[in-house]
Amino acid sequence: MRWGEPGARDRILERVARATGSRARHPHPGRLRTDTVTDPVATFVKRFTSQGGEVMTPDPHQTPGDWLTGFIAGLDGDMKGVAAGADVPAALQPSTPGAAPADAGAGISVAWGAVAETGSLILPSTGTRSVQLLPPVHIVWLPAGRVFARLEDALLEMRPELPAAIGVHSGPSRSADIGRTLVTGVHGPGRCIAVWLWERRADP
Amino acid sequence: MKKRISEYAARSRMTVRREPSVREAVTGAALSFDGKRRRAYGEVDVEAWRRWAEGVKNHLLTHLEDYLAEAEARLEAGGARVHWARDAAEAREIVLSLASDCSAGSVVKGKSMLTEEVDLNPALERAGIEVCETDLGEYILQLLDEPPSHIVGPAIHKSLEQVRELFEERLGTTPASGPDDLAQAARKVLRDAFIRADMGITGANFLVAETGTVALIENEGNIRLTTSLPRVHVALVGIEKLLPRMGDLAGFLQLTARAATGQSIGCFVSLIQGPSTQPGDDGPEEVHVVLVDNGRTDALLHEHAWEALRCVRCGACLNSCPVYRQTGGHAYGWVYSGPIGSILGPGLLGIHEAMPLPFASSLCGACGDACPVRIPIPELLLAWREEAQRRGLTPWNERIALAGLARMAERPGLYRVAGKFGTRLGTTALARKLPMLGEWSRDRALPRPSPSTFREIWHGGIE
Repeated sequence: MRWGEPGARDRILERVARATGSRARHPHPGRLRTDTVTDPVATFVKRFTSQGGEVMTPDPHQTPGDWLTGFIAGLDGDMKGVAAGADVPAALQPSTPGAAPADAGAGISVAWGAVAETGSLILPSTGTRSVQLLPPVHIVWLPAGRVFARLEDALLEMRPELPAAIGVHSGPSRSADIGRTLVTGVHGPGRCIAVWLWERRADP
Repeated sequence: MKKRISEYAARSRMTVRREPSVREAVTGAALSFDGKRRRAYGEVDVEAWRRWAEGVKNHLLTHLEDYLAEAEARLEAGGARVHWARDAAEAREIVLSLASDCSAGSVVKGKSMLTEEVDLNPALERAGIEVCETDLGEYILQLLDEPPSHIVGPAIHKSLEQVRELFEERLGTTPASGPDDLAQAARKVLRDAFIRADMGITGANFLVAETGTVALIENEGNIRLTTSLPRVHVALVGIEKLLPRMGDLAGFLQLTARAATGQSIGCFVSLIQGPSTQPGDDGPEEVHVVLVDNGRTDALLHEHAWEALRCVRCGACLNSCPVYRQTGGHAYGWVYSGPIGSILGPGLLGIHEAMPLPFASSLCGACGDACPVRIPIPELLLAWREEAQRRGLTPWNERIALAGLARMAERPGLYRVAGKFGTRLGTTALARKLPMLGEWSRDRALPRPSPSTFREIWHGGIE
């Protein structure tokens, strides 16, 4: 059942069809060719960091979990525990005490991939949205080899199996609404840290 | 918000004379946005991008009934529910009944011009629902009970000092607080609102027909929170906001960000297909999309107005407009201000309701050059002026003056005499006594006219 006046839908569609029928139909112009990205990884790092994001390379002699535990211990401020997304495997979680996303000092996610031309991390909603949004620091494992040159490439790759929602995060939360001064960490995380994940994760 | 379009002349005069801080803040912010846009346009083959975007929107608008049906089918297949609203009253009714269905006591909102257009907040408040605007700029304006003055930066007419005083009074911040402290104070209040809210309400930047994807662009993260934490998400979407395919979205997300703020993409983009169904997803249980007409089919049916429906609400034309920069958006007396508002107004409301907006422009053409979807704004302003003239909606003195000019131009003898008179007239002292010229020449010397008329020179022979 639909809301509103019965027939609102049909009335709107009827008027739209009358309008489109009254003028020439324009063809679709095809794909937009955005600039070619020759080195996606380097471009991603450059763009993402220029937007305030941070990129870390973990110590290859440590397990990812140990490296992350050490990294979190070194973060500024009072660490009230971490929250990890539902899709973060145990091997990628720190041994830091856990906390609810609303109370955690850091959230841990795994990105589906990244985009070079816009410097973006792609985060599916299956990774627990509150973890991606509520803690002041967001640490994102980024599987190396999942950096797409163009945004269109990434979206088309995702298209066949879209989750309920996708967050495209391109740096920390920011605003210039107060006196045109840039402020970070307004609502979302004030730090957005991508960490290279070298070995390819086994698909779930 | 109550429409006060007809008061444009008086209100713009009042803003310039009595509130110099508005002009200063708006000019500064708009020029800064405009500079960032120019730089960001310069980094890509922007003419190719703009022509492509114009083409996609023209394709969409000439196949809109098919894409609306496709979007509806995709959204419903993904578990979202689609509602249709012919006008503002129906849109409000739909949202109110959804709120009552989930017994919503409090609502958080992402910045949405469409919800301003349909006057949603007062309707929710009358129903006893607490409404909290969560965009920092919108939050400031909600505390002040003011409408937004710019599509992208709703509170750009407010200075740091004004926000500091407001937050000191309302949030108890200290008089020495800087922007960081003020933002943190607002974050605390709003974080609590997010966690308590039963319903999140947003607009949409785009709705992709192929996948049923509602796309939202922002920088603060408040829209991601609004669409993630509450149990119910309602998105109000103008029917012109559709895009045919997912691939199109990639281009429009980047072009819109470049045009609006000079970024390569917004810090946060939410792509929403439906309610949360998968394990691990703590998103909303219900997603509703309200497709709103509210004058859009009138514009679509109009010979010229339909081109304005390509608009992506980036605000680039406002930033580039020397008229907008003097007054900010409030003088326009309606939700959409600046050049785009002056052509959307007559398109959505009808020319009677929108007078004198098509005249609130110097026709310098900067808006048309800035527009990422190549809306010929100056040409459309002229088309609306002609329509206003045809319907006798222009001021009586202007009509008489133009009729007089036409009569004179049709009579060579009269024209010759008037021309001769004109060459002798041009003294600043005399001009000061004339309407309009008087005001203009108060602080300026009038250029000295040629001692002989063009006809005299012509007859004398030109070397």
